[in-house]
Amino acid sequence: MSIGLALIFGVMRVVNFAQGDFMMLGMYVTYFLAVGYGVDPLLGALVTIPPFFVLGLVVHRALLVRVTGGGDPQRLMDAQLILTLGLSLIITNATTMILTPMPRGIRAAYATQAFAVGPILLNQARSYAFLMALLLAGAVYAFLTRTDLGKALRAAADEPEAAGYQGIDVRAMHGLAFGVGIALVAAAGGLLATYHPIEPTVGVNFIVLMFVAVVLGGLGSIPGAFAGGLLIGLVQSLTLLVLPFQLQNVGVFIAFLLVLYLRPQGLFGQRLRAV
Amino acid sequence: MKAAGTSRGRDIRALAIALAVLVAAPTLLAPDVARAAEELKIALVAPLSGRWARQGQLKKMGAEMAIAEIEAQGGIKALGGGKIVLREADAGDSVEKAVSAAQRALSREKISAGIGSWLSSFTLGVTEVAERLQVPWFTLSYADSITERGFKYTFQSSPVSSLQAEQALDLILDLAKRNNQQIRKAALVGDNTAAIVFFFKPLREKLLKAKGIEIVVDEVWTPPLADATAIIQKLRSTRPDIVFYGATNFPDSIQVLQKVKEFGLRTPIMGVGAWLLTPEYVKTVGKELLDNVMSVTAAHPLKGQEDFVKRFTQRTGEPFMTQDPLMTYAHVWIIKEAAELAKSTDPKAIRDAVTKLDLRSGPAASALTPGRIRYDERGRRVGATPIIVQWQGGEPFTVVPAELATRKPVWDGGK
Repeated sequence: MSIGLALIFGVMRVVNFAQGDFMMLGMYVTYFLAVGYGVDPLLGALVTIPPFFVLGLVVHRALLVRVTGGGDPQRLMDAQLILTLGLSLIITNATTMILTPMPRGIRAAYATQAFAVGPILLNQARSYAFLMALLLAGAVYAFLTRTDLGKALRAAADEPEAAGYQGIDVRAMHGLAFGVGIALVAAAGGLLATYHPIEPTVGVNFIVLMFVAVVLGGLGSIPGAFAGGLLIGLVQSLTLLVLPFQLQNVGVFIAFLLVLYLRPQGLFGQRLRAV
Repeated sequence: MKAAGTSRGRDIRALAIALAVLVAAPTLLAPDVARAAEELKIALVAPLSGRWARQGQLKKMGAEMAIAEIEAQGGIKALGGGKIVLREADAGDSVEKAVSAAQRALSREKISAGIGSWLSSFTLGVTEVAERLQVPWFTLSYADSITERGFKYTFQSSPVSSLQAEQALDLILDLAKRNNQQIRKAALVGDNTAAIVFFFKPLREKLLKAKGIEIVVDEVWTPPLADATAIIQKLRSTRPDIVFYGATNFPDSIQVLQKVKEFGLRTPIMGVGAWLLTPEYVKTVGKELLDNVMSVTAAHPLKGQEDFVKRFTQRTGEPFMTQDPLMTYAHVWIIKEAAELAKSTDPKAIRDAVTKLDLRSGPAASALTPGRIRYDERGRRVGATPIIVQWQGGEPFTVVPAELATRKPVWDGGK
């Protein structure tokens, strides 16, 4: 989930508020594949990747191109925030209109079964989702470090101007990053759908945590986003050992503030150059 | 001179036309106004978007069914066959949105009565607006505080939370005893929405202690719930004999129920409210997981209402009927009866008529236990008693009170 967001931010410097809503759409696609065609949601989650990649490209081409690259960064930032927030509202409400607010869920047997490792019970759906997330994260990492296209993407992220001089089409790279980012979050939604009910507003519950994970890991850092996501889950669970249940997310935000205080660039982030 | 005269003449003509239009306008609009005078407008302020939207939809179905029935019977006779018009307003997912929706709905046009807003926290805010604008307001919300503020325009048809807690506990203890089980340890697990807070409060403070029952788990959260694992782990290690359960937000509740199954917990679950009885539960978690889960609710189809429920399911395509459409259906009928008595669509006249109503038959009275519609000076429905509903084979059935039950209760206390 967070990796997609980190990729989009890292390459494009766009804070994408609609990320949670693309995740929600991914959940619905997986749901309809599972209910309509009997596709296992774990497979369904992978199936969402190509169409959402294309969707990401289209959204980038149609909308985001207008608010990225060139011009006053502050004004562009405002425009981006308004654009992605507006996109988020439109997606949520259109989904509510078309699919009704009725919550749906995939009834996968593994959602309510656990692997018993000694006295510890591991939820099967979550374990599978975790493994798939690891695989996807590995694939993205390999893509970014091992392929020419991935290297070009990183170049466009680190130094857009110099990348342009080297013959890299920065705008195309932005589109690629957005497409991959959306595809990843849609797949994450598909994995989530194995154990979490689906409704049009589900994205809101996750977007804040996604941002926390991204910032925690260091803005724009891919391994950082992954580590940030893991850390959040861990802190959330461990918080309950000391704090009452109501304060479950408080632990996450305390950890978040601590990291920001001690290491403002995030766990894996690079110190920004002073201007 | 001549030119000026023409110009003045033109001015006068323009003025005359303007005057004519002004004079004619009311006449042109008159047919509408006359028709509107016969219409009785009811505002339904309920969540139609956000996490409680499904409940709002169910309420709307109940209201529409009542309106269709009233129309088929010739409308409101005292108003010359006047029709009932429903004005929906979306209460969204926060108190602020609910209040502003009510404000907009009630100030835009003349509304004779209102219904809503499902979640007690919303109703508390919305009824303040209704009180200020003097529009009678009907609610199925449970929180005691709704009718503890001395409001004159609020009518609460459900038994209040504290009463539900008291009666539900008695019913549970009785049920356990008849199944040769003893309840010594209880768990309170739920969110902090008003109805749940008011249900848990008396249990926590006095009721359970009075019966010698120890509270072993007491976990409350603000929806949405991040992860249910910790709660279930606590339940697993403390092994309560009963779980009082209030997760009004569907995704939260699904998480908890899935974990209950995953951890193989078999403690009887007693929910608080109709949110636990919607068809989505069967679709999402399956009927096996739900079997024997109970919930205390303010209204549920009773023995003898089979035809009525069938009409509802055929109309809406819903698999069964629950509190939300049932209560709203009754509310529309109560407003209709009040309008017949008041012979007016004036909200104040309708409010006065409601205080005089004492219905013991007809669609409204037969929809709710104990078959009587009468509100006391606080606006609480006289004799309102909770109903215990239990999931059996993928459908929720009334199991208590026994004389109105559609199924016998099953106590699954095997641990």
